[in-house]
Amino acid sequence: MKFNICHLYPDLLDLYGDRGNILALEARCRWRGIEPVVQKASLGEDLDFMGMDILFIGGGSDREQGLLVQDLMRREKELRVAIEKGLVVLAICGGYQMLGKYYQMASGEKIQGLGIIDIWTIAGEKRLIGNVVVEIDGRTLVGFENHSGKTYLGEGVMPLGKVLFGHGNNGDDQDEGVRYHNVFGSYLHGPLLPKNPHFADLLLGLAILRRGEDLRLSELDDQLEELAHEVMVKKLLK
Amino acid sequence: MKRTWRFWVALWAGKIITKGLLVVGKKGTTLPGKIANLIDPEIMRHLSVAYSNGIIMITGTNGKTTTANLLASIIRESGEAFAFNQAGANLVTGITGAMIQDTRWNGCSRASLALLEVDEATVPKFCNQVSPTLAIVTNFFRDQLDRYGELDTTVRMVRESLPKATVLMLNADDPLVAQFGSDHAQVIYYGVERTPDSQSESQETREARFCPVCGTELDYSLFHYGQLGIYNCSGCVFHRPNPEILAQNVRMEEGLILFQEGVASFSLSLQGYYNLYNALAALTAARQLGINNSLIERGLRGFIPQAGRMERFYLPEGEITLTLVKNPTGFDQVIQTMLGVTKPLRILIGINDLAADGRDISWLWDVNFERLGGYEASINQVICTGLRAEDIALRLKYAGVSVEKLVIEHTLAEALERLQAGRTEEEVAFILPTYTLLFPLRELLESCQQNSGLSRPKDKVAEEGTH
Repeated sequence: MKFNICHLYPDLLDLYGDRGNILALEARCRWRGIEPVVQKASLGEDLDFMGMDILFIGGGSDREQGLLVQDLMRREKELRVAIEKGLVVLAICGGYQMLGKYYQMASGEKIQGLGIIDIWTIAGEKRLIGNVVVEIDGRTLVGFENHSGKTYLGEGVMPLGKVLFGHGNNGDDQDEGVRYHNVFGSYLHGPLLPKNPHFADLLLGLAILRRGEDLRLSELDDQLEELAHEVMVKKLLK
Repeated sequence: MKRTWRFWVALWAGKIITKGLLVVGKKGTTLPGKIANLIDPEIMRHLSVAYSNGIIMITGTNGKTTTANLLASIIRESGEAFAFNQAGANLVTGITGAMIQDTRWNGCSRASLALLEVDEATVPKFCNQVSPTLAIVTNFFRDQLDRYGELDTTVRMVRESLPKATVLMLNADDPLVAQFGSDHAQVIYYGVERTPDSQSESQETREARFCPVCGTELDYSLFHYGQLGIYNCSGCVFHRPNPEILAQNVRMEEGLILFQEGVASFSLSLQGYYNLYNALAALTAARQLGINNSLIERGLRGFIPQAGRMERFYLPEGEITLTLVKNPTGFDQVIQTMLGVTKPLRILIGINDLAADGRDISWLWDVNFERLGGYEASINQVICTGLRAEDIALRLKYAGVSVEKLVIEHTLAEALERLQAGRTEEEVAFILPTYTLLFPLRELLESCQQNSGLSRPKDKVAEEGTH
């Protein structure tokens, strides 16, 4: 079975080791006998959102992010439809912010976002930097955040999880990330997926379910992943 | 600006603390520098005016320390005395401390020239007080982003703070550095024609894929390493400037880097072509100081590698090369060098996440460890140590190194023992620590070397390091 992963703008959005998320998805497919096919999509390239299994959008520096919001705007309708129909999306940091309504800069100027989710981001005065532990469905996610934007969720929008250590979306309301249909937005670098194998498998499982395949993900030997995860949880929540 | 009473109090306090530290058997420039700056926040300005032959500043992401040491080695050949912030003490406190050490109680400096390595993030503070005569900018790579914010900010900060009167010596092959020349009066570029590793395609992490002037993707005819190469922009006039100082006929022979610049030939007992840039930067500055080719040649050839920069140790179970790793580009270069040995490898990697290492270790995922995974058969063992030992082990698992070959060992002495245990003659061993693990590991290696009686005189190491 082929599994289509689209890495959006890897040439623009590849800060903080986020490509590790793609490496993790690829490896976890391969170890299960599923053949991962990774499309590295650049600006202006054709994108078939319905044919993708997982779409990954990382974060970039401010200059680069401006370039691609314009490019994505052209495909906003198709992306929105695919998302409403269950496309699995992982969006980190800048990619996460772009899915919202706008990013308000320190000058007060607003940069338009895709507006797919009812969230918005306001430039903060100090960068929120450091290790993070988040609780999600009774389990934990570990990662590293580094952002100056503070993101807020609209009425009824569900956060990805609760911050147990670190800042999360804005440092005020203990929320971290967003979950909307099968879209997962988060500030967690680290990268996120390698050290949170249960979360990587959640994404893979949802993507396979969306395809209507009758396939259960086989168990992998995650001792090393879980060890790396536990070391950080113990260190930070001691 | 006139020196005030604050200056004298700060200077004398700094000197007293320096002496005090010496009495208790410690060397240090950071503490005296810190106290002196508390007393007189303008002390760098007041100290710097004493250097009548000028101040040379060296900054950039990688190669600052090596470049400074290479240049120091050349200037020593010329016989001129200079103030110098050794051992990478490149923040305001360390720089101040070094100048205090060189300044007499009466406020006169001993040397009339100063050679100062300055951390990128410290350049604005430094240049606010000190106007360097010459400034070398080596390169800009992703390095400890959590300390500085994003790379663009760092580059802009450095660029905006360089005084107009300073003569810039810029790496022509790095677009992020070369752009500094477009609006600066006095610029000298250095660059490399090609190295045996230069390629028309790059697989490594690249910072500047896009023109720093107009944002169009850059076209490269050749990549030397990272984003360094021969490039031009199709969207505007930005292109790789023609270097006045150009390394040609670059090659590696018996562990030496050989190259030609103009009519002169040079050799360098360092590994890795990134060190060629460090030598070129030092050479460019030396020319500006009016030092002749034969002294430059001697200075480069006689250079002994700094602590933990491809430094060799001789232990009973076999030789070990120790080298600092701190960012993806540097690590990629080390991997290239290790695989270039074409022998089975035993590797010890130590990753800490303290402030000096960078709190964020996600850069490990930007290192092309997949290249190691691609040579899995020649990797016999990887010992992982440090506060983030589990993270590097996990990274290697996803790079394709089999889990059976990975060992997590948090105690340094035991990690070293594992590296050497059952080692065969054919196997080559490398130790790759981040900054805060470098010195503990180095001490351990030195004491093992001494106990075994295998230690060699320092000046012989450079020669014998060539086999």
